[in-house]
Amino acid sequence: MATQLKEVDAVIVGLGWTGGILAKELTAAGLKVVALERGGLRDPASDYALPGVRDELRYVHRHDLMQNTARDTLTIRNKPAQEALPMRQLGSFLPGEVVGGSGVHWSGHTWRWSDNEFKIRTLYEERYGKGYIPADMTIQDWGITYAELEPYYDKFEYCAAVSGKAGNIRGQIQPGGNPFEAPRQRDYPLPPLTPILSNVVFSEAARNVGYHPFLRPSANASRAYTNPDGSKFGACQYCGFCQRFGCEANAKGSPHMTVIPIAMRNPNFELRANSWVTKVQKDSSGKRVTGVTYTNVLNGEEFEQPASMVLLCAYAINNVHLMLLSGIGQPYDPVSQKGVIGKNYCYQTGAGSTLFFENRNFNPFMSAGGSSATCDDFNQNWNFDRSSHGFVGGFTVAAGVNTALPIGYRPVPGGTPPWGKEWKAATAKWYQTAMTIGSSGSVMANRYNCYDLDPTYKNAFGQPLMRMTFDYTENELKMGRHAAQIVNDIAKSMNPTRLNPASVRQSWSVVPYQSTHNTGGTIMGTNPQNSALNKYLQNWDCHNLFVVGANVFPHNASYNPTGPVGALAYWTADAIKNRYMKNPAPLVSA
Amino acid sequence: MTLSKLLLSSAIALLAVTGAAQAQDAKRGEKLYEECVACHSKDRGAHGIGPALHGVIGRKAAELADFRYSPALKRSGITWNTQSLESYIADPQKAVPANRMPYAGMPEARDRADLIAYIRAAMK
Repeated sequence: MATQLKEVDAVIVGLGWTGGILAKELTAAGLKVVALERGGLRDPASDYALPGVRDELRYVHRHDLMQNTARDTLTIRNKPAQEALPMRQLGSFLPGEVVGGSGVHWSGHTWRWSDNEFKIRTLYEERYGKGYIPADMTIQDWGITYAELEPYYDKFEYCAAVSGKAGNIRGQIQPGGNPFEAPRQRDYPLPPLTPILSNVVFSEAARNVGYHPFLRPSANASRAYTNPDGSKFGACQYCGFCQRFGCEANAKGSPHMTVIPIAMRNPNFELRANSWVTKVQKDSSGKRVTGVTYTNVLNGEEFEQPASMVLLCAYAINNVHLMLLSGIGQPYDPVSQKGVIGKNYCYQTGAGSTLFFENRNFNPFMSAGGSSATCDDFNQNWNFDRSSHGFVGGFTVAAGVNTALPIGYRPVPGGTPPWGKEWKAATAKWYQTAMTIGSSGSVMANRYNCYDLDPTYKNAFGQPLMRMTFDYTENELKMGRHAAQIVNDIAKSMNPTRLNPASVRQSWSVVPYQSTHNTGGTIMGTNPQNSALNKYLQNWDCHNLFVVGANVFPHNASYNPTGPVGALAYWTADAIKNRYMKNPAPLVSA
Repeated sequence: MTLSKLLLSSAIALLAVTGAAQAQDAKRGEKLYEECVACHSKDRGAHGIGPALHGVIGRKAAELADFRYSPALKRSGITWNTQSLESYIADPQKAVPANRMPYAGMPEARDRADLIAYIRAAMK
């Protein structure tokens, strides 16, 4: 039988960026908080230090910091008519499983999503007419505005040591920044990273054809930095081992070296690592949650942790899984389009080209996680007319290197054999001479792209696996074709010796890595009929349950998600501290 | 400044510094120590990614038993004093090849002198 523990004020499920931010903020406000993290506690001095951290096999190919698929995974299919099969090896996306979560192994790209996303249905209907949005595209307004979130973006950027150049300060366009970004109150805490050669040559080519390249803002400290909480950052060393690794120089903004240690110094806080939450418990009314059940994965012992408030802060997919396993809210049904839990799962799309320049050395081994020059002309730029291409959403176009690894990074021109003597000669010849131009594209919600519980396969705890049904629709194909054309036009203008051109992704495959940017499933919105959570990420059914992470996004943009994930965590922390603690009730009336 | 330029300028700075005697400013050094503090605490035994620097002056390199040093630093035979710190901070990989400190070096001689003045004063 499960051991009953003493009630606490709040239990946090998952301790990455969102759990860390809430743990720090709520313990400082006087709440007794317990955090349960399924992964282990790592010590940066031994686990993320040289030389062990540069072990590509361990961290990249054997996924040392990621979810263990032998214990729990998802089943995957493209279409509702197919039988979903379990993903036995991680591929397309890499959820973190460690204290610090995916915030340990991310690259640091930090964007501000704006009203282009938050008011998407209103804006597209206003500009392009009601008939422009396809009937099966279930996009909706988020119920929040950029103006509301602006101070919280700022807070996250200053916490995480984001290096970049503002493009728009209170309406004034700033040279060197992204001219299309939403207005901000002040610049980033640190200047942009030093550009690498591929950033420089791409920027020149993009500018020549009339686009507006800028250096991407990223949580890689461009110089030593102390954040407003007193957390200390070293300067990024451009070591080339960023994505999928912990930082050896304490230069990557990560929860395990900022918010989590601050929470841990607070006597109100307790961390229990290796603790796997299997269920959120409800009371008999179904209107309140009472705590969680979890298993210590080291010895199999089961516990019940009662709490006045439950905060789901696990990886986006696992938050939704836990809601479905706990029977909170009505599961979404794509046929009747009733129910909300599992609704609007989205991913991202993209198109990439590789350019080879004989006798030009790019030194790809030397880069930061955020070494990228980016154009936002087809994304945040609302003046870009989507109607001539017939899609909703946008895409960024960018060039740079992120983690050009000794084993994994082997660019060769098309037509090269995939192994043997010729491949070896080609990889030796072209390694130094290649650069990539890629685009990352949004994915709009579709009624058939969703999560539910798998009817067949179970995890190590005997619980049904999460089932993901996802494929690209005509909207993404239209956008992908346009993105590939823009990428190839810029690439050709640079006269490479050889070019592997970009092409549209026709169908989604779970096998190759693409991005850990899974969104939706427990979306925020304006009412309980169309969403699982209100604008404060509070559950409509149980007011003492908050669900935080990219699972709250009603659709996915082309930008990386961590900026709004961090900002929304601070936003929710403030709503809990300033309003919910004084009057524990729904913060928005249904 | 690119990394290669940074390394180059630090090598030039190293040539220029020998024998330069100027007044050191430990106050300024404290500010410069911000480049180190993400990894190196000044409190005894409080190791981070790098070892705590309490009592570093006069100590042999890689001497503390409770920190895992690189083989390169263990072999180096260095005793930390103004001169050895000066060349190590200027260009760590040049001074002790294959050491594990992820730091590209401090190019300006005056910065290094001020930093070492601070270390001497604050980490006794």
